Amino acid sequence: MSSDFKTLQSHWNTSKNQLHVSTIDFDNLYKKIRTKEKENYMFYYGTITILLTTLIVISLFFYFVAPVQYTLSRIGAGLMIFGLIFRIGIELKSIQKAKHINILDNSLKATEHTIAFHKFRTMIHQVVAPIIVILYTVGFYLITPEFSQYMPLWNIVFIDVSYIVIAVILFIVIRKGVKGEMQKLSDIIALKQDITE
Amino acid sequence: MIFLSMKTNKNESFETIYRQHHPMVLQMCLGFVKGDQDTANDLSQDIFISVWNNLDKFRGASSYKTWIYRITVNTCLQYVKKDKKVRRFSESELENQSDTNHTESSKQSDIPELYKAIGQLKKIDRLIIMMVLENQDYNSIAEVIGINAINVRVKTHRIKKRLESILKQNTHE
Repeated sequence: MSSDFKTLQSHWNTSKNQLHVSTIDFDNLYKKIRTKEKENYMFYYGTITILLTTLIVISLFFYFVAPVQYTLSRIGAGLMIFGLIFRIGIELKSIQKAKHINILDNSLKATEHTIAFHKFRTMIHQVVAPIIVILYTVGFYLITPEFSQYMPLWNIVFIDVSYIVIAVILFIVIRKGVKGEMQKLSDIIALKQDITE
Repeated sequence: MIFLSMKTNKNESFETIYRQHHPMVLQMCLGFVKGDQDTANDLSQDIFISVWNNLDKFRGASSYKTWIYRITVNTCLQYVKKDKKVRRFSESELENQSDTNHTESSKQSDIPELYKAIGQLKKIDRLIIMMVLENQDYNSIAEVIGINAINVRVKTHRIKKRLESILKQNTHE
């Protein structure tokens, strides 16, 4: 094929004219727009909804079902609840950062905001998430001595062991999250370099 | 009643923009994804969803065309972040795809080869050269990308050379 730029431009324009669509199904397009809006809403608020539900369930559990009496247990319950509240706060901050990425900005600015967002997400996965898991774990094990008074030993052992399994799964999930965010971050930093070089 | 009228106006504006700019957007998406029709359709759909969502924010500071270029370029670049999740095409699959998805008349032209060559450039370079192919001036491209016009001119010169060498290399293969 000819590499002369004027010829390429002519090919380009001829091909574009052939892409013209005579009938457009706008109803279908509007339907897809509505679906996308729902998906976006879930993207932003899905995690918060899950965390908020967990927070409410745990709070109700400690208030109505198992109102712990020992100071140690109360500290434990407090740590678990605080960890969740902190996590929700971080998620809200993350949404705020994500909303800074404006598709109407120029590419350089949008890329800079995207880098800021992914740096924040990396920090969440690397620092905040492990701290929250530790808080939650410490809280959980502070409660078990009091629980052991009302439950058979095998039950307590079962809960403790299953928590270790959950902790291992969480560790793997967090590690995967860190790797994913680091990869995205390096891709976007490379993109910014390509724009500015 | 007023709300209904505003909605109808928005629909009308959107449909006009869509009719006028859809071929340009789709063509840029095709160039960006090396001629993969399905991915280009998905991408162009995402672009028009963003156009719809941001239509109320259009203030007329630039032309609709420049405004749509911004959305197109940013959506394509954001796609960079998630394109590792979508299926990847081998070179042979890509060639077949390029052939089967074009009309008879365009098959006779060299456009699939051009898409393939553009696809071998860096992501930002693909978008810059496609805007040049679209006859956009350096100032408009600079406004979309966020760098100065002189820088765009230098980059364009470099990209043209690179594209030329890729096309020559592909012809010899």
